Order: sequence, then C-alpha cells, then structure tokens
Amino acid sequence: MLEYLKLSIDGASVRTVKGTSVLDAALAAGICIPHLCYIPVLKDTGACRLCIVEQVMNGRSKVTTSCTLNAEEGMVILSSTEKIQNLRRNIAELLVAQAPNSRAIQDMAVRCGVKEVRYPFRNDKCVQCGRCVRYCSEYSHANALGFVGRGQDRHVEFALGFRRDLCKNCGFCTEFCPMSITPCGGPMKHGEERLCGMCDSKINPTPYQPGICVRCDLGKGFQCARQHYA
Amino acid sequence: MKRLRGTEDLTALRTKVQRERKKVKATIIICGGTGCQASQSPAVIAAMKKELTAQGLDKDVHVRTTGCHGFCEQGPLMVFEPGNLFYCHVTPADVPDIVARTVKGGKTIERLLYQDPLSGRKVRTEEEIPFYQLQDRQLLSYNKLVDPLSINDYIAIGGYMALAKTLTSLEPPAVIAEVKASGLRGRGGAGFPAGLKWAECAEMPGEEKYVICNADEGDPGAYMDRCLLEANPHLILEGMLIAARAVGASQGYIYVRKEYPLAVKHVKAALEQARNLGLLGDGILGSSFSFDIEVSRGAGAFVCGESTALMASLEGRVGEPRAKDVRSVKEGLWHKPTVLNNVETLANIPAIILNGAPWFAAKGARDSNGTKIFSLTGHVKNTGLVEVAMGTSLRQIIFDIGGGPKNGKAIKAVQTGGPSGGCLPVSCFDLSVDFDTLTGAGSMMGSGGMVVMDESTCMVEVSRYFLKFLQDESCGKCVPCRLGIERMLEITTDITEGRGRREQLPLLIDLANTVSETSLCGLGKTAPNPVLSALRYFPEEYAAHIDQGKCPAGVCKALIHYAIDADKCNGCGKCLRACPHEAISGKKKAAHIIDDQKCNKCGICSGECNFAAITVH
Amino acid sequence: MTKLDSILEGRRSQPHQLIEVLHDLQEQYGYIPEKAMLAVAGELGVPLMEVYRVASFYKTFSRKPRGQNVFTVCTGTACHVRGANLLIDQVQGQLKIAPGSTTADGRVTLESVNCVGACALGPVVMRNGSYFHHVTPGKLRKLIDQTGKIKKEEFHEKTKGN
Repeated sequence: MLEYLKLSIDGASVRTVKGTSVLDAALAAGICIPHLCYIPVLKDTGACRLCIVEQVMNGRSKVTTSCTLNAEEGMVILSSTEKIQNLRRNIAELLVAQAPNSRAIQDMAVRCGVKEVRYPFRNDKCVQCGRCVRYCSEYSHANALGFVGRGQDRHVEFALGFRRDLCKNCGFCTEFCPMSITPCGGPMKHGEERLCGMCDSKINPTPYQPGICVRCDLGKGFQCARQHYA
Repeated sequence: MKRLRGTEDLTALRTKVQRERKKVKATIIICGGTGCQASQSPAVIAAMKKELTAQGLDKDVHVRTTGCHGFCEQGPLMVFEPGNLFYCHVTPADVPDIVARTVKGGKTIERLLYQDPLSGRKVRTEEEIPFYQLQDRQLLSYNKLVDPLSINDYIAIGGYMALAKTLTSLEPPAVIAEVKASGLRGRGGAGFPAGLKWAECAEMPGEEKYVICNADEGDPGAYMDRCLLEANPHLILEGMLIAARAVGASQGYIYVRKEYPLAVKHVKAALEQARNLGLLGDGILGSSFSFDIEVSRGAGAFVCGESTALMASLEGRVGEPRAKDVRSVKEGLWHKPTVLNNVETLANIPAIILNGAPWFAAKGARDSNGTKIFSLTGHVKNTGLVEVAMGTSLRQIIFDIGGGPKNGKAIKAVQTGGPSGGCLPVSCFDLSVDFDTLTGAGSMMGSGGMVVMDESTCMVEVSRYFLKFLQDESCGKCVPCRLGIERMLEITTDITEGRGRREQLPLLIDLANTVSETSLCGLGKTAPNPVLSALRYFPEEYAAHIDQGKCPAGVCKALIHYAIDADKCNGCGKCLRACPHEAISGKKKAAHIIDDQKCNKCGICSGECNFAAITVH
Repeated sequence: MTKLDSILEGRRSQPHQLIEVLHDLQEQYGYIPEKAMLAVAGELGVPLMEVYRVASFYKTFSRKPRGQNVFTVCTGTACHVRGANLLIDQVQGQLKIAPGSTTADGRVTLESVNCVGACALGPVVMRNGSYFHHVTPGKLRKLIDQTGKIKKEEFHEKTKGN
C-alpha cells in the first residue's frame, strides 16, 4: 500500500510517497535543486552537499542535504533562500576551482551563481562525486573500482590493478562521469583554467531562477535527475 | 574464582577481600601507566619486588602496580599506604635506599619528595601536593586504590554494587530517571544528556540493541580516557553494564584507539575476570540479564571518534560518517538501536546510581553538573590530569593548579577542545569551564584537552597546524570538508610563508562559515573553529604576518632568519655538529656562520648553543 | 600460509572482522602484503576492492614493507607546542626521509602519529613500540645512531606485542 504525504517546499504544497527523499519530491514537482552525486537508482550519500536546503522546525532552521532527508508529513523546506544560495554557490566554487576541465562542472557552477573563482585553479581529473564507484558496487555488483586512501590522497582506483575477472564492462563508470564531457572551448591546459561561463549561457539564454526548473543544459543527458520526470 | 550468584555473594566477597587487605601491614603503590612506563617505572617495580623479597619483607609489604595517576611528568610515582608518603622521579637505583630507610626505618628520603614549583617547598604526603589539593578527584582518586589487573581490588572498594542495585531494587526505567535527573552530559565533547539518550534507545522496539563505549579519544593532547581505562577498567565495564540493563541491550563494544595498547590489555583482562565471576555474560549475578562486551581496536583515524564513523569501523568498513537525519539511538550499529557513550561518561554512572542524582547535581555549574577531567599540557609548570567541578575558571586551572608559566615566558593562550575547539586569550581566562560558556566565546570544552601556549607560540601557525591535522584526518567524502579545509590551509600557509594578502581574510571567513554550515559531520562542522578563534582574538598576529611580513613569536620559517652573533660565539662547534642540514660552517675557536640558503630554520642549533649566540630575527 | 590461517581462524565469512584481521596481518608481517589482501577477501567474504579500500583508509596499516626499526614521532598538539616538528626536521636532515618512508638500506622507517596519550611527557618518540619522553633533536640523533645495533629478532619480538 502506498502511503502518501504532503510537505511544503518553497511555499508550494508537494505530494509524495512515504520513503521518498525531499530532493526526489522536489524534482518530481519541477523544483530545481542542484545536485551532483545524486543518482536515483543508487543509494543517497550526501557527499557533494549541493542539494542543501533549510528545514524549518520549531522556529529554527537547519541546513541539511535534501537527498538524505526523508520527506515527512508537514515538513517545511526552503530550497533557495539567500543563505542557501550563498552556501551552494561557495560549494560549486570549490568544485569548479578543483576540476574546471568538465562542461558539467562548469555548467553547475553557473547554475549555482558562481561569478568569480577566488581560489587558484587546480586541474584535477576527478571530482570524487562517487558515481562510478557506487554504480560499480551497488548496481553492477562488480566492485572493480572504488575509493582508496583518505582526505587529501583519496582517489578512485582499481582494486590492485585493473582486473578482468572483476570488471563486467557495463560502462556506467564512464557514461555517468561528469569529467568525461570536455568544456565547450576544448580541454583546458595547465595555466589556462578559468570559469568558462560559455556552455550554459550559450545554449540556454533563460537566466537561472532559483527554485524553478528551466530545463537547463544540465538536464539534457544525464547530469540532472529531472530527466526522469520529463 | 567462584561465580557470584547474587548480591549476597558479591557482598560476601567484598567483606572477604577487605579483611585480607587489612592483614597487609603496608602497601607500596607504584604507577605503571603509559606515562610512567615511558619513564621506566616497570624497572622500578621489578627492582622493588626483588628487594623486598631479598629482605624477607614480601609477606608484610605488598606492591600494588596501578594505572595512571595523572601526574605523569613527575613519574615514576610511588605512594605508601598507610600515610600517603609521596615520592616522585623514582629510579631503580633508589629502591635499596627506599626499602632500607623508608620501609624498614620509617624515615623520609628528602631528595625523592615532590617540590612545589611555586613555593619551592618540599611536600611529604600526597594530600599536601597543591596540584592534587585544588582538584576534586572523584574519578581519579580511585586509580591508586586498585591494581587494574585485579577485580578483587575493584570489588574491595565497592565495585559492582551499583550494578547489583540495578538488578535488584532499581528497575530500568528508574535507572534512566536517575541518570536523567543527575544532568550527566556526554563527556566526549558533544555534551548530549546521557539520560535522554538512554531513554530514547530504551523506547525503541526490538530485542537487538547495542551499547558502545567510545574510547577512540582522538583529540591530540587529551588522555583522560587512556588514564581511566588503564587504571580502572572495571569502572567503565560497570557503567556499560548499567547502560545495557537500562536500555535492554545484550551486546556491547569498547572501541579503543590502537595507540593505547596498555588500555586494550587491561580492558581485555578485566573482561575475562568479570566473566569468570559471573559479572558479565549469561545470567549476570544470578539474574536473567545477559550482556557481553567485545574489544575492538581503532586503526589510526581521528574521524572514527565520530559516532557513525565508529560504528562503520566496528562493522569492518571505512570510517565514513553518514548523514545523521536518522539518529543512532534509532538505527545505529547494524541499523539497530544503539547507545554510544564516552569513557568518562560511563565512568560517572556507578557513583550516580549508588549516591543518587542530587549528589551528582549538587556539583558543577548550571546545565553542567558534576566534575570533569581535563588534560592540562603545554607551557605550564604542572602538567597532567586535572579533575575539577565544572564551573571552575580557566585561570584557576592554568595558574592555581597548573602553576602558571614555565620557562619564564608569559602565557598567551589556551587551546581547548582539540581540533574542534579554539584558542582563547588570557583576557578570557576568567570564563567558567563548562559545556556552554566556552562555546559562546568561540571555542568549546570538548573532551577536556587544554594546551597552554606561551609567547613562543605563533597563533597563525597553530591554526595552520590544526588545519593540516584536519586535512589529514578528513575522510574525504564531502566537498566542504575535503576541498574547503584544504583551501583554508592554502590561505593560512600563504600567510605563514609571507605571501598573505589582506583580501584573503574575508575569503577565509566566508569559506570557514560555508565549511561549518554545510559539512556532513562534526569534523568538518567544527573545523573552522581554530581558525576563526585565532582571527578573532589574535588579529594583530595576522596583521604582522600580512602587512609587515613578520612573525612576532619567531616561529614561521619563511619570516625568520637565524644568525650567529659573532661577539658571543666562541667557536665551540656544537651548533655545527647539531645542524642536520649542514648549514653552519666555521673553524675551531672562530665565530661560526649560518648559510642562509641551506638553513632550514628548524632552530636545533640555537637549542644546542650554551652561549645564547644564535638569534632569530 | 599457516600464519595466515591462524589469523583467519574463527573469523571466516565474518566481514566485520576485517579490521582486526588487518591488525593481525600488520603485526605479523610489518605490512599488509597484496597476497594477504586477496586471501582475506576470499576467506572473509569481502570484495577485494573493499579490503584494499579499508587497508588504505586507516593509517595504522602500511601497504609497503617497513624497515627494521620504526621510529614514530608523536605530532599531537601538546607535543607540537613543545617542538615535535623539530624532531621530524632532525630525522629528515639526518636520514633524508620524510614521514611514511624508509631509508634505502631498510634500517629505519619514520612515521608520525597524531597522539599516543603521553601528552604530559612530550615530545614523545616511540622506537619499535618503546616510549621515549622529552625527546630533543640531540637525543633523537643519538637514538637513531645507536639503533643499527638492535637485532632483527628483537625488533620482531617487540612489534608482536603491539
């Protein structure tokens, strides 16, 4: 038996099924909450922190990730207050400063309102969103690659070298990797990293309106879970 | 050892052991804790036993090896029962003298007495030592009374009577009510009310529940839990048993950091002995209550002090915390209701059950009942473990008990709460040490670590140190912690290396706020505290680094310059030999020179120089 | 591989025993050999990737063989303010190795640890599990120089107890 419930997101009354995350409920209702590590078919992990929202309870608000928060009856959620927009923008800024060589990450930064990057750019090949790792273990049950190390030297690696006996050739790791899409102007070499700002504004001139899905470029392809809700 | 089938058996055993202890004419207590072990106390213990046997005294005089007393810098420590004569810095060579003059002759050996650094007076007995006198050693005072490897010692001082009470006259709901009324808050740092935690877990349905003792003690500079576990492991076992009884758990775990091998050894021995007596396992004390405990070792991850990461580690996985929207009391270890308490929190339980909640609540400050153990270290005369009622001020702890500055340098700040806390300047020293006051000032009491810093410490460098620590220890899962801390470290390093720019400070604050608001777990959420408190209270040091390119404390390598004063140098060559980077050159008896290119600014040379000829600019 | 068998005794098919098994492997071999990781994965019922992941996450475990003598410098806060970084400088200058590395002749491995709980006695250095307190760069230099003379058997004996 499906148990329905209602919660309030940005003032709108949203109806969803018990057991759904707040993020999922919002996306289904056409409310845009940026996200990166979230993939509907995989377990929520709350790693990228982009999907943060404010949960209002007893007169106080708590910042929490909407992907790990289960929707409950009567919940009051605010997804794009000024505070959230600032926090989200800062997180996106950290991401694009770390790994600018991806159209998806550049797009995400623009979506989240990043106008300038205040840190020296790096040129990491991996943004540690965890999609490849989680697909490999949770979906394909191959466990051929995973996170290794901790903190600074944490990275994705094969289990003691690429193993033909473990990899099932499903291809999800490359298919869902945000770093596999190069920036529009071509790959950025060392020293040439910058905030591109071309992709999104070039293809979709509609300015980002907080909270409303404008069917941006991130939604096409696989970068946004909204594609599941048409 | 016969199994105890009920409270009567326990009381009978206690009476028997106490009677046997009365027969012993004298006891020599020697500290065998990790600190004193580092000072070679095992050799002292061995020498004492050998000498007593050689003198035919071993039947009348008993040697009790105890765990840590908490006054480690004075070790090896020796206390005589009766009388409490106190000797410190005892060496094996002193032993024949001690046996001849003190044990046989009843005389005091002056050179082994403790000398108070403030008054210069020599002190005879333990009670007269100001360091101990000014404390309220509710928990620590037991440490010299028990040999941690003897359950009989623990029973002799009333051990396991609180457990017996919860199996006979005090039902689980009443136990929880008592702990709630006591106001006991978690001693690991978060300060969550223990009674409330137990109540929530007890309410959960299901037979499978767990009690975990968090003995990871990751805060560097804090060793209260090590001391309690090494010295009085049964106290913690009893606390866990009572918790399990209260919430309905049948399995418990003690998660001990790997770096505490002696604590692991003593806890394992204690578990074995408790099982043999029927105080652990099936049918405890003849009742229907069953509970057993397993010891699990940490593996070098500070993040595993966080409750969900600790549970992941117990499950054999990496210590990555999970989002806490569903709390562990509901779904913890293996998704079952779990109570996780710190070592010191559990250590307080037996006394609360025996003496009642009002007794516990009578001490302390508002909303911070009871006593707390602090580890006072750094640039202060008396370092060691300090147990005081909450509400005591920082000044009382650092100056009255700690004896104030060491080496004649003025005290500048105290770092409390480990990497989650902050640095408070002398102007804050009248603040009360409790759960809430220090948090209001920008630091936190944390698990009890207090590192005193004098003017030779650079506060900017300290914030860099903590950021580096947190960067090493971050699990790396969430973006604000993994990337944010690294960027904060990048900026702070720029400042310590003379590349700091004014614009970086507002960026540092903006970033710090983001990391604190959006991180997944407590490590990230509190990571900005050291930085923000340093910025708040020591802006002049930041200004000196950024605007003038100077490090006032003379610490930051890029901003200092070592030079040898040719007038003072007599060419002895000590510095030349000491320099690990071969940066010093000079002929014998002629003034030596430091090669700036090779100089690593480590300062090892100036430590060797007997003529104060090496200066820092 | 009977040493491995005794470590796995009573733990087969129990994935949650992974960390205790790795501890025992570290004590036995001084590091976690790849062959051991493969065996453990099979015997405990844990994916190889997970064994590798856990072995790399926790700093106690080393995936490279360590030297004959392991010097561990405590870099906790109390030891840090008393100059623990000078000790690291000393070793780097004297032996040209950084924390986590071993000298070319395999005589000394340098490691750092974030607090051993002997804070009142800092700076603290451990040599093969034995504690030394109030260590100065000079004392450490002497200690390292004297250390070639410890026999291999003594080293194994000491590390077993840890």
